[in-house]
Amino acid sequence: MKRKSADQLAVPMSSMIDIVFLLLIYFIVTAREEISEAHLAVNLPSPGAAKTDEVKPKMLEMQVHANKLYLQGAEKPVEEIASTLKYLGSLDPDQTVIIQVSMSARATDLVTALDLCRAAGLEKLNVMTLK
Amino acid sequence: MKKRGDDTLETPITSMIDIVFLLIIFFVVTASVDKDVVDESIILAQAKNAPAVEQSDPRTVTVNLRKDGEINIALQPLSLSQLKQLLISMRAQAGNSVPVLIRCDGDTQFRHIDRVMQVAASTGLYRVRLAAEATGM
Repeated sequence: MKRKSADQLAVPMSSMIDIVFLLLIYFIVTAREEISEAHLAVNLPSPGAAKTDEVKPKMLEMQVHANKLYLQGAEKPVEEIASTLKYLGSLDPDQTVIIQVSMSARATDLVTALDLCRAAGLEKLNVMTLK
Repeated sequence: MKKRGDDTLETPITSMIDIVFLLIIFFVVTASVDKDVVDESIILAQAKNAPAVEQSDPRTVTVNLRKDGEINIALQPLSLSQLKQLLISMRAQAGNSVPVLIRCDGDTQFRHIDRVMQVAASTGLYRVRLAAEATGM
């Protein structure tokens, strides 16, 4: 098939290449969008359970407000919380983090908090509503 | 098939192009069906550390939550009670390990997210996830 007469075969190749490039561009464009999503798992309190006031010492407590993060009751910048969480996570990665979220907080704030915990290796993340 | 006369090699190309176009159209159509699950108007919050998801559970219920708190699944707007009905039927079909993915806009207030989370929790679906844009890796 390859070399019967050179001038006859040269013509359709350009349109084939056009189509192949079109397919290539299409797949590049569609592939990019799918990869870039992360799914952050959260645990929810069961709806019937009463709000537990006592906090066990093994639990980490985080509060999320609009543009503010509190760790163990004190407001701290994100970098500091990240390093503290990394240290605490290396001590005991199984400990539970209770994330209390204020109603006025935005999704970005919550995602930041969850993401910091993930980076520290903490997987047990309980999300609660701050009243 | 019409012109077989002198140049025998040019005839299969047109049918090849036909097939290629058919394939393109097929992929475009299937891709747009796939994209309908995702609400394009939602700009996800960014997560620097969490790894990007390579394969998610095919049973996943994707709930889109817009900035103003409007809920839709596959671009079909739902009220909270409709969402609850849907989740209950999902649970009846596939058990309570069906993951619920909340795709909320980065600017969505937590009060809206909380409502969706409460609905998921009250139907007994415990695998709730928040979608974020993986920017780190």
